[in-house]
Amino acid sequence: MSNSFIIGQYVPGDSFIHRLDPRTKIAIIFTFVIVVFLANSVASYGLLTAFSIGSALLTRIKLSYIAKGLTPVWFLIVFTFILHLIVTKDGEVLFQIASYPIYSGAIIQGAAISLRFFLLILVTSLLTLTTTPIEITDAIETLLGPLKKIKFPVHELALMMSISLRFIPTLMQETEKISKAQASRGVDFKTGPIRDRVQAVVPLLVPLFVSAFKRAEELAMAMEARGYQGGEGRTKLRELKIEGRDLFVISLFLLIIIGLVMTRA
Amino acid sequence: MKLSTRDITLSGMFAALMAIGANITSFIVIGSVPITLTTFFSILAGLLLGSRLGAISMTVYALVGLAGAPVFSQFSGGLSALVSPTFGFIISYILVAYVVGKIVEWNASNHWFIIAALVGFVINYTFGTNWLYVAYKYLASTDAISYNVAWAWMAAPLPKDIILSTFAGILAPRLYKSINKNATIATDNSVA
Repeated sequence: MSNSFIIGQYVPGDSFIHRLDPRTKIAIIFTFVIVVFLANSVASYGLLTAFSIGSALLTRIKLSYIAKGLTPVWFLIVFTFILHLIVTKDGEVLFQIASYPIYSGAIIQGAAISLRFFLLILVTSLLTLTTTPIEITDAIETLLGPLKKIKFPVHELALMMSISLRFIPTLMQETEKISKAQASRGVDFKTGPIRDRVQAVVPLLVPLFVSAFKRAEELAMAMEARGYQGGEGRTKLRELKIEGRDLFVISLFLLIIIGLVMTRA
Repeated sequence: MKLSTRDITLSGMFAALMAIGANITSFIVIGSVPITLTTFFSILAGLLLGSRLGAISMTVYALVGLAGAPVFSQFSGGLSALVSPTFGFIISYILVAYVVGKIVEWNASNHWFIIAALVGFVINYTFGTNWLYVAYKYLASTDAISYNVAWAWMAAPLPKDIILSTFAGILAPRLYKSINKNATIATDNSVA
């Protein structure tokens, strides 16, 4: 369980998508989230669907696994489709369900909106399936780099993300340990009226917070003792590098955007 | 913005605490439904860290979740959270921590802690529900879901969160004392 926090949803692999620079992936996906709203014809939706499904296949992650990650949103997608069936009244009446007319326009629009929803979720989840949180943190640090000019603490933010990723598993173990220790002292989290159970959280939270703050304090001291003094002039263990394949994917994506604009109705 | 090493470690650590709070019911069972303590923890972020660090730590929490760590409630996470209509609640924690922090920086008496916590709760719900309404309207391109329906949807967890927020206001001074007794926290960035 605690391991899943460090790698997140990442599925280890060596596919083309895995090897892309995380910055390329982030830039393309954010652009995709915006341009997906431009699609309004069969051809433009087809183009975007082909791109998304193609990328999903290129990750060489099992499609059933990707679909599993989408489970929480299926409900929303289906709900949106049904909602459109009920409220949209365009085109001709195709058939009636319990004397309620279903219009042809409703099916088309419902399908288009649900498809758009699906593509958004699919493409955004591809990033976290093929990139570790640590890589994404590195990418965020370089992508936001220009903001340093306006005194935005980019380096610090990335460091805080790494610290928090590093300590989530530790604090989880700590929580388990404390709750067991308190249970052995007779604290009852499971029964009794709600008020008592809320009260029972106190002996859990107080030691948890105390230990987290203490760890933060010790970490700061350890960092300073080793000469940490902010982002200026620090070197990196992992250097990000834009390679040929990144340029290839970016050009391909630009072509898709041009195609999208041309195939719009 | 100048951040000391201690500011950095504290904010990172609090973002990690927030991740625990989002899924605390997987460690202990409080009642039969899985509840999340994110609102509760975001209020505590403002009360314990102050407006600046509180808001920063909540930003870190949101970013870590978007980067794919399963830190949001029900162990969800990943960039797809961005296009989920409930993402407004995650954004609202930043605002909650900031405003709550500002209030207690202005007046740090015990009853103002509780008032600040309740203000935080109101911000959380107002911002989150409005975002939910607008985001869904835009994503689904329909206004079939009216504003009132969006609020009705949020009514179920409302009493639980009012109780928890008040509780956060009561608990914060106590937590602060225990932390100070056991660890030497620089008080320049913290309140109370």
